[in-house]
Amino acid sequence: MRKPRLLLVDDDIDLTNNLSWLLSRRSYEVSAVNDGEGALRIVGEQEFDVVILDRKMPGLDGISALRVLKMKHPNLEFIILTGAPSIDSAIKGLELGAYDYATKPITMTDLEEKIRMAFERKLLLA
Amino acid sequence: MHAPDLHTLSSAKLYRKFIIGAMICFVLPVLLLGWVSFLNYSEFSISRISDYFKKTVEDNRRIVELFLDERTSDLKFTAFTHSLDFLTDTASLSETFHLLNQKGHYFTDLGVIGLTGKHKSYIGPFDLMDKDYSKTFWFKGVLTKGVYISDMFMGYREVPHFIIAVLYSKGDETWILRATIDNEFLSSLVDTTRLGKTGEVFLVNREGVYQTTPRFKGEIMGKTTLPMNLFTGESGILISDSTVPTGSFAPEGSIPIAYRIKTLLVPAHSQHIVAYSRLKNIDWFLVVKQDFREFFGDVDHLLAILVFLHVIILAILIVSVFTARYMVKVVEKRDKQAETLNRKLMQARKLASVGELAAGVAHEINNPLAVIRTASMVMSELTEDEKDLNEQYRDHLVKSLSQIDGQVDRCGRITQNLLSFSRRTPSASTFVDLNVVLTDVVGLLENKANSSGIHISLDLQQNIPQIRTDRFELEEVFLNLVHNAIDAHDDKPYGSINISTRLDSARNGLVMTIADSGSGIADGNLERLFDPFFTTKPVGKGTGLGLSISYSIIKRMGGDISVQSEVGKGTTFTLFLPCPINEQIHIVQNLEDSKKEN
Repeated sequence: MRKPRLLLVDDDIDLTNNLSWLLSRRSYEVSAVNDGEGALRIVGEQEFDVVILDRKMPGLDGISALRVLKMKHPNLEFIILTGAPSIDSAIKGLELGAYDYATKPITMTDLEEKIRMAFERKLLLA
Repeated sequence: MHAPDLHTLSSAKLYRKFIIGAMICFVLPVLLLGWVSFLNYSEFSISRISDYFKKTVEDNRRIVELFLDERTSDLKFTAFTHSLDFLTDTASLSETFHLLNQKGHYFTDLGVIGLTGKHKSYIGPFDLMDKDYSKTFWFKGVLTKGVYISDMFMGYREVPHFIIAVLYSKGDETWILRATIDNEFLSSLVDTTRLGKTGEVFLVNREGVYQTTPRFKGEIMGKTTLPMNLFTGESGILISDSTVPTGSFAPEGSIPIAYRIKTLLVPAHSQHIVAYSRLKNIDWFLVVKQDFREFFGDVDHLLAILVFLHVIILAILIVSVFTARYMVKVVEKRDKQAETLNRKLMQARKLASVGELAAGVAHEINNPLAVIRTASMVMSELTEDEKDLNEQYRDHLVKSLSQIDGQVDRCGRITQNLLSFSRRTPSASTFVDLNVVLTDVVGLLENKANSSGIHISLDLQQNIPQIRTDRFELEEVFLNLVHNAIDAHDDKPYGSINISTRLDSARNGLVMTIADSGSGIADGNLERLFDPFFTTKPVGKGTGLGLSISYSIIKRMGGDISVQSEVGKGTTFTLFLPCPINEQIHIVQNLEDSKKEN
């Protein structure tokens, strides 16, 4: 099975850099943008399997980006990452079609597990 | 622990205010009004009665004086307008006698007496023609004075009477016209004046001998018990005491109210008010006498009202004392309730604001934590890749990186706990058996307890109703409490934890207690026990959030959590969880109904 192509969307450049490095080492194909608008742009240009999306960002936030992207690309799977989890926002995210919901600081093991599951679902639905 | 003192202080103040208020607003004005009107009216009443007394005595004196004057004039007129021959003639004397008595039966008899002291002629019911009066006091009196009015005396007839005698002296003709005044008529003159039930009017001479028969005690010619030595001057008012024959006290002019109050306790009818006035034509006194009690009747009536007023004021004071006491108690109770409510509200507000803060803080902390974690992983993986690294250096680096990871975990746990506050959405409610949850939690922690030498015993009431709540939240609370109970034994090598449940039907709920034999909680810490971030555990061991989270969970469930603790002996947490029995039954019925329908 091929490794999923990942898009990291987070306003924290340090985080996207570190995660990109760590995930690339684990043979994922990783791209990263630092705002919601960047995500909309790059999704139109490249193919992705799973988007890891920060919920709270300046400008277009994670939930709004999710709404737009999921509409345009229903095949794309999303994992919402948040610093302040709340049941409301979790439900909102899942309703909008996100596959999962994770709280920072997440361990690599957990993240990889979620990515794997999301990718499996994408393959299943495709 | 200062609050109760303040309470008693403020309620004592309140109590005092109530009483002083009642005194100022009611008791004092009424007392003042009562006494002022009593003093005023009683002075007025006494002076009015005194005036009436004086007037009565003066009026009667004048009547008697006038009577005596008239009778004296009658005799003088008769003596000076008739010849001796005419008067010594029995028939014409009889005619004159009847003429004198025409207007009233003034005279009992009438006689002409010569210088020898013997009757020249006499008209009257007695046989006195051969009596010799030359040695009598009145005979001597009339010879020296010309006119003589005697005191009452018995005389030859042996009946109390008094006489008026006038001397006729012209040239060598000297004789005496003498008449006896009808005793009854004199008495009837004064006796017509009646004073209440006990008042009487009579005449006495200077020696205190009755000249008329008094209405009550005493006889004409008898000796009065009045203190005659006090009859000084022309007139006066005095108080006589019949138990002391000499009498007492002669106030000037009128009798003050103070005197009545002083003599309140004297026996009835023993004291009298006496007014006297001396007659001008004879050394007699007209006396008006009335019982002390009757004289002061109005005043005594007022006194009775005044006493009644005092009784009422006393009653009102007593009532207001009780009312004040009751009201202060009610206020105290309200205060206490308000204070408890306030404290709970403060706690809730504190938790709410911490909850809001928590969400923000969690977000701000979690993001950097995520970066730290990934950075540390990058470093750790880079270290793994670097084969020719100094072993000692590598070990240090790996150890440090795992410390970073551990601390990130710890921070993550703290923010996780913090976020428990901001949970607003209602948690998933199911029917939960408190005993089952407790047994599960104890099962989880039994190993930890045993390794610390602590025995956990369960005393669970069977068949308690299930409650409708979030099982996981309840588990969290129990975990927190049992954890704390175990940690409370840190200073002790062994101990015990007793957990009990029971149904409180009166309050419609379940009561769960968890009592440990640990080190207890100091007084100062008890108040802050449920505050967020308050912990006495060593740094890194407790977040200070367990109990405040438990508190907010139990509160959200509509329950209550309280704590009793004794330093060195242990701590008991008591949880109350409501389980509306009616709703319980209702739900069970609904379930049964739906089963039937299916």
